[in-house]
Amino acid sequence: MPGTKDVMVLDDEQIVGDRLRPALEQEGFQVEVFTDSRAALERLKQKSFAVLVTDVKMRGPTGMDVLRYVKENAPGTQVIVITGYATIETSHEADALGAFQFVAKPFKIKDIVKLVTKSSRLA
Amino acid sequence: MSDSNPSGASLRAPEAGDRAAQPGRTDVDLAGRLRAAQHALLSRPRLSMQVRLVASLLLCFLLCCAFALVSLDLLHRTRSRIHLLQTVERLDDRIHRVRALANEGILSSGDLERMLEGAKEAEDLFRREPRTLRQEDRQLLPNLLRHVQAARLLLATSEAAGHSGVGVLSPAQAAELRSTGTDANQSLEALIRRERLTADRILRVAESGALVLLLSLLVLFSVITLSFARALAAPLRRFKGYTSRIAGGDFSFIRPARKYRDEFSDLAVAVNQMLAELRAQQDRVVRGAKLAAVGTLTSGIAHELNNPLNNISITAEALMEGLATLSQEEKWRHLQDIYFETERASEIVKSLLDFTRKEKPDAVPLDLNEILQSTFRLAQNEMTLNDVALSSAVPGELPRVWGAANQMRQVFLNIILNAIQAMPKGGTLFVSTVTHHADQVCVEIRDEGAGIPPEVLPHIFDPFFTTKEPGKGTGLGLSLSLGIVRKFGGDIQVASEPGKGTTVHVCLPAAEET
Repeated sequence: MPGTKDVMVLDDEQIVGDRLRPALEQEGFQVEVFTDSRAALERLKQKSFAVLVTDVKMRGPTGMDVLRYVKENAPGTQVIVITGYATIETSHEADALGAFQFVAKPFKIKDIVKLVTKSSRLA
Repeated sequence: MSDSNPSGASLRAPEAGDRAAQPGRTDVDLAGRLRAAQHALLSRPRLSMQVRLVASLLLCFLLCCAFALVSLDLLHRTRSRIHLLQTVERLDDRIHRVRALANEGILSSGDLERMLEGAKEAEDLFRREPRTLRQEDRQLLPNLLRHVQAARLLLATSEAAGHSGVGVLSPAQAAELRSTGTDANQSLEALIRRERLTADRILRVAESGALVLLLSLLVLFSVITLSFARALAAPLRRFKGYTSRIAGGDFSFIRPARKYRDEFSDLAVAVNQMLAELRAQQDRVVRGAKLAAVGTLTSGIAHELNNPLNNISITAEALMEGLATLSQEEKWRHLQDIYFETERASEIVKSLLDFTRKEKPDAVPLDLNEILQSTFRLAQNEMTLNDVALSSAVPGELPRVWGAANQMRQVFLNIILNAIQAMPKGGTLFVSTVTHHADQVCVEIRDEGAGIPPEVLPHIFDPFFTTKEPGKGTGLGLSLSLGIVRKFGGDIQVASEPGKGTTVHVCLPAAEET
């Protein structure tokens, strides 16, 4: 699959992208950071990514909507879902929609880097 | 009526003087106000319904008694009249007979005896009933008796002379007896006519007396019935007013409405006791509902707190990892991020604490703008998550209004959360201020949501009324909000157009000149 090192980070918190980008780039990934889910969906239509790291609750389309879109249109893309408010329901929903992993905030950068590395091998 | 205003919609704004005089704790305050109201109710002279009822019935009874006594007297007098008439008529008859026999010239001593007997009876009667006779009538009988005695003497002597049982009067004697008899007959008949008239009059008096009694009883009963109906109906109407204003959320105590007290005053005292309990209960429910509102915010708050915490955590991690490699400028930016994200987290905690903190539910002059801004901060995340944009046009300089900060935050939060829930697909929440009256400030909160169906609109302030799924809403939000706002002398009005959205006006009395 082309571009197996392409990662998209989608979170309306600017700092999350700012911190994940250098850590992932250090591991050799090409990272695109989005804080707006509409813009991210536009980008996903143009380009396929190996891994998508997305927040759930956002203004406009939610992380679940993006996950659903990705699984329908680019099933090869692995999706890591991060959320500030983890409930059993959202965890089940993410599993059912085919997410690679469900991570609750606050997380460790190291853990996310590990998960991205692991899932990118599946992509 | 010196009562507190019974209409629930427009309540008296609390007076500043009231509060200044009572700076103590609310429950102490409440107890004092309750005591004052109870004292005012009980210090009036007592005039109980029971006493009034007994007095009225006693009056009726005495009237009936008086009539019965008068009737008895009249009956007694009628009976003695009839007796008199019978006696006099009998005597009259006998005199006629004696006159007839005297005309014939034959007169037996038996006839004279019967006439004497009748005259004696009449005399006895006349003596017993001196009132019924005229002076000239009194002369009549002795005259008659004298002549009869004389005639009897004559008869006795002629009997002794040999005529057995039948005497013969001399013409002179017969003439005298006749003329006396005629006089007696005339007088007696006049007496009979007079007595008949008197008896008639007495009977007529008895007749009209009964009618008078009936009429006066009718009047008396109408007066009693009317006065009792009024004495019952007016307080009942007043109490109906109290219940509807209590149902509307106005728990101000009942004040005296009349100059005296009765059983209704006892009821008012009991209702005031109940109102004090209801107020205490209401305050507890308000606290509970506030926690419920916080509960609905939990997901938003957790999300909102976890975001800055996560930012702090990952920035600290990046800083630790890159301590050797990061540039001085990058380290500075990381530290700045940590600093501002900590601020952000503590702001969230502070606004939540502000909201849940216990406060005196007394009205104080409030800055509406500050209340609204802090409420927006509480609801901000809920709005963001539901794609709701806030369009606020609240001027910074607003006259202060009467209210308690947290209770008013709760009111606005309830209304804003309802508005957000009415727009599941997102939209804009418009908040602005309107001034309908110079002594009021109104906040208009308008959403672009589904609106409220007309059949639901009248019920939205009912306690426990909810259109949400079971477990999702308590149905207390709006009812408590209205209770809170009315307590401060304000009102909430809701207008809605299904499909277009809902507009809520929250009006509070201004605490200073507008």
